[in-house]
Amino acid sequence: MKRLLLVIPLLFGITAITFSLTKALPGDPVYSIVGERSSPEIIEKIRKEIGADKSVVRQYAGYIALLVQGELGRSYFTGRKVADDISVKFPNTMRLAFASMIIAAPLGIFFGFLSAKRRGKLTDRVITLLSVSGISFPVFWSGLLLMLFFSLKLRFLPPSGTGGMQYLLLPAITLSLPALATLVRITRVTVIDIMDMPCIRTARAKGIPETGVSMIHILKNALIPLITVIGLELGSYLNGAVLTETIFGWDGIGRYAMEGIIKRDYPVIMGCLLVGTLVFVFINLVVDVIYHYADPRVRVHGTDR
Amino acid sequence: MLKRLIRAETRRFIAVAVLFSSLLFVSCSSRDRVEGFIHYRLNYNPSTLDPAHIVDVTGGIIAAKLFNGLVRLDEHLAVVSDIAESWEISPDGTTYTFRIRSNVRFTNNRKVIASDFKYSFERILDPKGKSPNTWVFEKVAGARAYTRGDAAEVSGIVVRDHHTLQIRLEKPFSPFLNLLTMTAAYVVPKEEVERWGVDFSTHPVGSGPFILRDWRHNDRLLLGRNDDYFSGKARVKGICYRVIPEDLTAIAEFELGNLDVISIPASEFRRFKSSNTWTGLIASREGINSYYLGFNCSRPPFNDHLARMAIAHAIDRKKIFETYYEKRGVLSHGPIPEALRSWPPPEPLAYAPETANELIGRSGLKGTTIRFFIPADQEVADIAEIIQSYLKLAGLSVAIKQLEWSSYKAALNKGEADMFWISWWADYPDPENFLFPLFHSSNRGPSGNRTWYTNKTVDALIEKGQRLMISSARSSYYGDAEKVIVKDVPSVFFWHKADITLRQPTVRNYEIYPIYSVDKGLEVSF
Repeated sequence: MKRLLLVIPLLFGITAITFSLTKALPGDPVYSIVGERSSPEIIEKIRKEIGADKSVVRQYAGYIALLVQGELGRSYFTGRKVADDISVKFPNTMRLAFASMIIAAPLGIFFGFLSAKRRGKLTDRVITLLSVSGISFPVFWSGLLLMLFFSLKLRFLPPSGTGGMQYLLLPAITLSLPALATLVRITRVTVIDIMDMPCIRTARAKGIPETGVSMIHILKNALIPLITVIGLELGSYLNGAVLTETIFGWDGIGRYAMEGIIKRDYPVIMGCLLVGTLVFVFINLVVDVIYHYADPRVRVHGTDR
Repeated sequence: MLKRLIRAETRRFIAVAVLFSSLLFVSCSSRDRVEGFIHYRLNYNPSTLDPAHIVDVTGGIIAAKLFNGLVRLDEHLAVVSDIAESWEISPDGTTYTFRIRSNVRFTNNRKVIASDFKYSFERILDPKGKSPNTWVFEKVAGARAYTRGDAAEVSGIVVRDHHTLQIRLEKPFSPFLNLLTMTAAYVVPKEEVERWGVDFSTHPVGSGPFILRDWRHNDRLLLGRNDDYFSGKARVKGICYRVIPEDLTAIAEFELGNLDVISIPASEFRRFKSSNTWTGLIASREGINSYYLGFNCSRPPFNDHLARMAIAHAIDRKKIFETYYEKRGVLSHGPIPEALRSWPPPEPLAYAPETANELIGRSGLKGTTIRFFIPADQEVADIAEIIQSYLKLAGLSVAIKQLEWSSYKAALNKGEADMFWISWWADYPDPENFLFPLFHSSNRGPSGNRTWYTNKTVDALIEKGQRLMISSARSSYYGDAEKVIVKDVPSVFFWHKADITLRQPTVRNYEIYPIYSVDKGLEVSF
């Protein structure tokens, strides 16, 4: 509960910092709103309309007043409510993020485990090679390759659009690759560390079958770093994946935020940042709760949360 | 043990994967079309579909399908009847009387009458409104007073009866009918505007050949055919606009048949041009635009005529056009596109490196670093580097500053650049549209004259042209103005870019129109 209450001052801090940062950016939304041909009077009028004629402090106060009413304001360009837009785009982003994590997490842990178990052997080398490539290849490259293969050659999935499973698959796979590769690396290192720990030797000595050792003892010990990585990756995916969304025409929060930034659409930028902050806070909370169950040592310190 | 486990796991995994993918194979295909609809690509989601607020081409393209004005442009860029079946212009050129058709209905089934136009035009000028398009009507008598809030209505817009509308101008302004073909002059139904308020931008109601059916922002926009359209219904059942920001993705969609027409991105031009399958399906048309290298004429170093001439002489435009640009357009003679020019073209300064060197010596340009501003765009960046290398050959140092669009525009409007790369696209097809906003001294800065060019002779010539109603006499003034401008070199005019499109073999009657507002979507078919 205390953690949740702490979110409020955190949000104030975040809004204050981001608000002043966005205002400090060069560029002016007014020029984009008025188009190529406009008189100084119109520019002045629109500046007044969006409140850009007031001091930054007054503007910030205005924004906070809006937030307190539960509003995020309207986009300067589309006139649509930012909250409405986000409520459409965020679920799309969520679907993409979870779909790629559903692909990345089991596969990443499985191959990482395999790699560790077969350390130094060919399997390990191949997996290592692939996972290093997975981390290094940028998504706009792997995404286009996947599109070339699955859409143009196999004629199996549509190259772009927002919608059901067939639209989701390509961007989800693309987005999952770097996370998958990271998870393989982390799992491998962690499992190798754990395999050398005395408790595993003890387990083996107790005559527990090898499967049991791998599944229960090693995996359980490896959970903490894996949960941390999965949580962080998920958090960043939930804040949008601009490149993947752009390539596949996926209507997510990343593209929305990016467009807002390019046009200096301040209400949109602020709305996206706020949602992003909340997502990270929430994910961290969930991760902490999972720690609590996964690792008895965590439980000792924070019983009454 | 583990080996066996892994093997079992792997087997199970493969089995599941095969099952899963075969299921997908059954249910999925790369086909993604709405039956009977023509599919186009948009590079980005239009901000708004409210004619009062549209300032971008994307919004304009769609608005042309949803709305109508009093008059419109035909494919030869002549002003023809739209909702007004006829009109008369008083001999002094200030009073326009429009006769409104009696068979036009909004898609909410109400008849369009003269007072709808008065409402729609006053809405643009509304002192409480936020329309950035007031300039379209600023020449109407009483418009300024109304916008300032000093009058209850625009005195120059008079509704004589349900079918007669009269517009009086402050003084004769020859391109006025052209202005009335623009997006901002479309008619909207008052009851719908009031019902939706701000959200009229996403719930547009007009009288056009299409009706907005569904708009999934950033994804796709569906327009259904209006079967009761007053001048015959469209041949396609509807239009599907797909919002696809990435060029390569759009190409993939096109090759799969999910898009019917695309403009060919520069990077793919050569490939399609040399492909036997596609070469016959490429169409191109000179765009009504002008790409140029502008100078800030208001301060050193480029307030010096010699310095500007030196730069013009130092760059081989023709070579850049033929090699890097692959001749995707026509080389400019001046600011005005060939399609709008009815007089002999002026002769721009030719590539002459020796003359350039001599002029640089005389102008005191040597030793200064020229700040060259460009927007964030790969093609522009390439061109900027080529220009930089030409100027380096002439012994000049150029610092390229690349900014994203909004910062770029702010910087230009404040006059921070010495030199910049920009383009101008026609709002309406009249040479005046390439002279008045770009070179008249009253438009310096954000109104269009970003070179801050000031020349009293040019101002006077443009104004004279604006006042004359006979086009041959107008042309002589505009021609003279263009000649002076080319001589003064406020900009080096590079080229007029062509629109180059590629269509599927199934598409018939597709034409590239010189201005987006011409295309009502009535002709194209399968």
